[in-house]
Amino acid sequence: MTSLGTPIQGVTLYSFTRAVHARQYDLDGLIRKVAAEGFGPGLEVIGFSSLRGFPDRIDDNFVGQFRDLVAEVDLVPTSLAVNVDTGIRRDRLMNHDELVEYMRKQIDVAARLGFPIARVQISLTPDAMESLLPVAEKYGVTLALEVHADQHGAHERVLALRDRYEKLDSPLLGFTADWGATVTGFAPSLLEAYRRRGASEALLGQVVDLWNGFYADGPPNTQKVHGERFGAFIGLAARNGRPDLGIDFAINGTGLFGPAPLDTWLEIMPWVRHVHGKFFGIDETGEEPSVPVRSLVRQLVENGYSGAISSEYEGWHWNNWQDPFDIIRGEQAVQRSAAANAGSAMITDASEARRILNSHLAQPVRG
Amino acid sequence: MIADRIIEQGTLITQDGRTAVEVRIPWYRALPGSCIAGAALTVDGVSAPEGSLRWTMNNRTFSFEELVDETGEWWFPLDSAVLSGDLPVPDSRTEHEVRVDLKLYIPYIITDHGVLHIEEHDTKTMKVAQR
Repeated sequence: MTSLGTPIQGVTLYSFTRAVHARQYDLDGLIRKVAAEGFGPGLEVIGFSSLRGFPDRIDDNFVGQFRDLVAEVDLVPTSLAVNVDTGIRRDRLMNHDELVEYMRKQIDVAARLGFPIARVQISLTPDAMESLLPVAEKYGVTLALEVHADQHGAHERVLALRDRYEKLDSPLLGFTADWGATVTGFAPSLLEAYRRRGASEALLGQVVDLWNGFYADGPPNTQKVHGERFGAFIGLAARNGRPDLGIDFAINGTGLFGPAPLDTWLEIMPWVRHVHGKFFGIDETGEEPSVPVRSLVRQLVENGYSGAISSEYEGWHWNNWQDPFDIIRGEQAVQRSAAANAGSAMITDASEARRILNSHLAQPVRG
Repeated sequence: MIADRIIEQGTLITQDGRTAVEVRIPWYRALPGSCIAGAALTVDGVSAPEGSLRWTMNNRTFSFEELVDETGEWWFPLDSAVLSGDLPVPDSRTEHEVRVDLKLYIPYIITDHGVLHIEEHDTKTMKVAQR
C-alpha cells in the first residue's frame, strides 16, 4: 500500500500578477511579503514575468542576490516556470535545434537560481523531451511538463509523453499537474466580471449551460474536439449580440476551466513531480466554488505525493475588486484542512520541505 | 489580461505634429518585439497613419515592420513602451480621448489556426503636454 503523501505548501508569484503589474511590489518586496505571510515555504517564479533580461541577461550578481534573499527569508525554490515559445518568429515555428537551445538557456538559469524543477509546456513533443533529457542531466534539473486545460491526464498528447517517459526511465522527466484541467464549474467570479461588463443574466445562464454540457460530455481527448468547443463559445456570444465577449468566453471556458474527471490524474500520477494548485476564488463560506481543492489534495495524499503544491490564483485576470493575498490565504487554509482530513498534513516548515522535496525528486518513477 | 492598464494616465505628449503616449503590456510576461504585431493610436477619434507609427522600448525605436524580426529586445511587464505617430493635438487645455489598440502574439500557444494572437484596447481621457 502506498504510504500517505505530505505535500509541501507553496505559492507561485503568478498569483500576484495584478499587484506586481501595478508596481505595488518589486521582486524583492514580493518575495519578502510571501515569506512574511507564511505562503511558503515553496516558491515558484515565472522567468519571463519576474526576471528582467531572462534568460540571456541574468548575471551572477543577480543570481547571488536572489539566492541570498531566498535564504534570508527561509523559502524553498521549487519550480522556475519556463516557456516553450515555439511561435516566437513570425515566418515559421522554431525548428527542433532552436527549441532545444531556447530551453537550455532557461534551464541553465533555473539551475543557477537554485530551482530543482523547470516547468515546461505542452508544445514539447516526446521527441523534444527526449532531446532535452541530456540538458536536464547536465544541469540536474527536473523537467516537469505542465498538464493544463485544455489537455488533461488522459489526453492523447499527455499519454504519448507518459509512454516516452516510461521508456526513457529517468527521474528527471515528469509532469506538473495543473488543477485547472479538472474543474467542476464555470468560476462565479468570472461570471461576476462579465456581469460588470454588461452581460445579461440570460447570456450568462447560456454560458454556464454550455460549459456544464461539456463537463457532462467529458474532457476533449483530441485537439479537434477542443477546437469545436472553442468555436461553440464564440458562436454563443455572437448569437446573443455580444461578439466582443466571444474570444474571452472561449479562452476561459476551454483553456482555464478544464472539465476532466479527477481520476484522469491517475494516468500520470507516478510522474507528477510538481503541482499547480490552480484556483479562481474563495467564496463566502471559505471554499473554492469551482475547483475541487479538497478532493484534489486528498487524491495527492492518498497517492503518496510529497512534492510541492504551488497555489496558483488565476482569478486576477478579471477580479480587480478583491485582494489576492486574502484569496491565497483562504485557499491554503482549505489545502491544509483537506490534507488533515485525509490523515496527513501539508508541510509548512522550510527545513522539512527541503528534505522532503529532495527525496521526492530523487525518487525514480515506478509506473 | 489587464487591458485597462494599457494606457499610462497622464503621459500624452505632442510636438511638431507627432504625438506619443506610454503603454503597458496587458499580459503577465515579457514578449519580444516579434510578438508585438501591431498597434493603433487614436486621439479624439482621429488615428495616426499606420506607416507613421513608431514603438520605443529599452531606449530603441522601431517601426512595426522592424519589430517583425526583433527577437532580441523584450517588453518587460514593468516597463512602459512609447507608441508615437503623426497626429497633431493642438489644444493643451482640454481633455482628450486617447485610444490604443494592440495586437500581440502569445508565442507558446499554438492553435490549429497558427500562433494565438490577442487584440486588446484601452481608452483613457487626459490632457496633452506640448513640448
